[in-house]
Amino acid sequence: MSRTQAVRIGGLAAALLAWEGVSRLGWISPIILASPSAVLAAIRADGGVFLQAFEVTLAEIAIAIALAWSLGIGVGVAAGSLPRLGATAGPLLSSLFAIPLIILYPLFVAWVGMGPASKILFGAASGFFPIALNALSGVRCLDPRFALVARGMGATTGQIFFKVLLPLALPAIISGLRVGTSLIIIGVVVTEMLASVGGVGFLISYHRTMFNTGHVYLGIFLALLAALLVNRGLSHLEERFGRWRILEQTRA
Amino acid sequence: MARHVIEVRGLTKTYSPHRAPVRALDRVSFTVDEGQFVTLVGPSGGGKSTLLLILAGLVESTTGEVWVDGEQVRGPVPEKIGIVFQDATLLPWKTALANVEFPLDLRHVPRGVRRERALALLEMVGLQDFADRYPHELSGGMRQRVAIARGLVQDPRIVLMDEPFGALDEQTRTKMGQELLRIWEKTRKTIFFITHSLTEAIYLSDVVLVMSPRPGRILDVMPVDLPRPRRFEMMGSEAFGQARNRIWKLITEGEG
Amino acid sequence: MQRTALAGQLLFVGAVLAGWEAVSQWRWVDPSLLPPFSAVIQILWVFLRDGAFLADLQVTGVEVLTAFVIAAPLAISTGFLLGEKLHWGEVVNPVIHVVLAVPQSIFLPIFILAFGIGFLEKVIFGITHAYFVIVVNTVAAVRAIPAPLVVAARSFGATPVQIYTRIYLPAMLPLVVTGLRLGMIFNIIGVLLAEMYASRHGIGRLIFSWGEAFQIRELLAGILLVSVATIALNEVMRLWEARVGRWRSATLGS
Repeated sequence: MSRTQAVRIGGLAAALLAWEGVSRLGWISPIILASPSAVLAAIRADGGVFLQAFEVTLAEIAIAIALAWSLGIGVGVAAGSLPRLGATAGPLLSSLFAIPLIILYPLFVAWVGMGPASKILFGAASGFFPIALNALSGVRCLDPRFALVARGMGATTGQIFFKVLLPLALPAIISGLRVGTSLIIIGVVVTEMLASVGGVGFLISYHRTMFNTGHVYLGIFLALLAALLVNRGLSHLEERFGRWRILEQTRA
Repeated sequence: MARHVIEVRGLTKTYSPHRAPVRALDRVSFTVDEGQFVTLVGPSGGGKSTLLLILAGLVESTTGEVWVDGEQVRGPVPEKIGIVFQDATLLPWKTALANVEFPLDLRHVPRGVRRERALALLEMVGLQDFADRYPHELSGGMRQRVAIARGLVQDPRIVLMDEPFGALDEQTRTKMGQELLRIWEKTRKTIFFITHSLTEAIYLSDVVLVMSPRPGRILDVMPVDLPRPRRFEMMGSEAFGQARNRIWKLITEGEG
Repeated sequence: MQRTALAGQLLFVGAVLAGWEAVSQWRWVDPSLLPPFSAVIQILWVFLRDGAFLADLQVTGVEVLTAFVIAAPLAISTGFLLGEKLHWGEVVNPVIHVVLAVPQSIFLPIFILAFGIGFLEKVIFGITHAYFVIVVNTVAAVRAIPAPLVVAARSFGATPVQIYTRIYLPAMLPLVVTGLRLGMIFNIIGVLLAEMYASRHGIGRLIFSWGEAFQIRELLAGILLVSVATIALNEVMRLWEARVGRWRSATLGS
């Protein structure tokens, strides 16, 4: 474990060095590839501005997450536990999932303006579908015998739902959250890039038109950092609540 | 005079996936005569399946050699050896008929010829009405019968069977055994059959080879003196019980 | 069950469209924010006979197709190599999963800095969107090939080529087609986003400028057309997926 970590850190350091080296050699135009030192320079020059913008972006992301998680899990679990609703809603949701949601963004801007509301709306919409679909299939694929056994032990409907079905469906729900949440984060930043007056995405677009490539990379890194951190956290949760799944597989 | 259609000399197989080598087979030698029904019986997890893969030319032995029909085996010889595997291994995207045809198809046998041959074999195993069904539409016993038909389709002299009824329930298993004996008596193929069931081994065979737990050695070559055709009631006979006890003793003592 | 489900879905879509028409006609919402469905259909009908609009549609179509035609074989061969050569896969797979966990859209500004805002940039951006999901599905497809079937085929004397064409190909096809379907969807998202962000042509560009100009009727017509087209494409590919995977779902079900 520690060895693979060492390899990873070493690899990362080597990549950074190679990156700096390649950009110093001048094979690739500094307008396309900013060197690590250019990114550092951007931090020194405009670090404060980026941090403030990042706060705005994080607030938008937080609200979008709250909306998408509650609506996605709610709709998914409800549709999964009611077979007739699930049979109707399941294919409908996965058909709608094919729509490139990004084309809705201009509509959101027209309706609620260029401010944070349109980003939150878009972020929540793009996270909703994978979360709902995973929750739906997670609840739907449960072996009905679990509920029967619990009923046989005298559990009430509420107990069956909260103590048996929900924990069993949790790993599937969390993996939906993992996919959905990184879509939310990037969705918010990308819509800030498209049309906005604030946030990290706005700074990325602004500096792109100025050809300040170091600043562009800095903004992208911040967005990636947020996405990777959330992804990591949810992966850990997935492992924790999904451990019985792995144990079951190794035993079989 | 019967002649040896399979001859195995001093077969040893050592696997070394990691640092510690594992010996699966240890100096295995035996012969099988033309038209015989020979069963290899031994505990699960021994070297039985490895031995079968080596006989079929699918795995190389570490030392020793295998001769089939006067030729040394160095790779698959489908025209001489047919195989039936434990879990049927039918291609799930092909019908029963197309599965039986598959080995002939691989050798570019014309469609009409292979179809006729496959249908005849499906009829022999009693599945002529299920030719167009897919494997998932058949019961476990039916799938194994398709696999047997497929093993016979190239008209090999020898059929190797690796616990073909291992996944079936007791009743189906007994019926499949009787079915197999009927097919064997009709075709007079040489059959080399692997099982971990002592009853199955004695009931089916002319000769039982008893294998030790890992590393697999041949502990005894035991002729079965029961008249043919075999009948279900024979399983209760004294001779049957004695044979059973003898194998049981050999295997458990082999464990040390 | 399936027929009632389909009826339920049609009913739902019908109700949404009827509700849309009603709230706008009866002015429960401002018709300048949500013009009635019928008005949107009218303008869409005009667009579909308008040469300039069709030219923009064609630009997008060609970008999407070019990207897909390049990405699919590239990604399938990568996935196949990674799946077959296990030790490569162990090194590269985690990297691919990390890349897949982060939507590629965020890198759009760098693509523009590198490739400009023309056809090339759209196609390359589309390729990167399609590539990874197809790779991951192909790797899974290779790993899902049942080893006993390969051994059995070898025992019947199958040549290596026959093992690839007769066992690998049919066994892999369902998962690969799933990858292709998702890759196509991601590809469309990538191309449209690139058009919306910076472009001179394409339906994405049109949609974005209608939004900026507050031409909601035209905007909704564009959204409707793209949505219907992608849903239809997705459903067609799903049918294909179900067709090549019929044996698979059946085996799982038994």
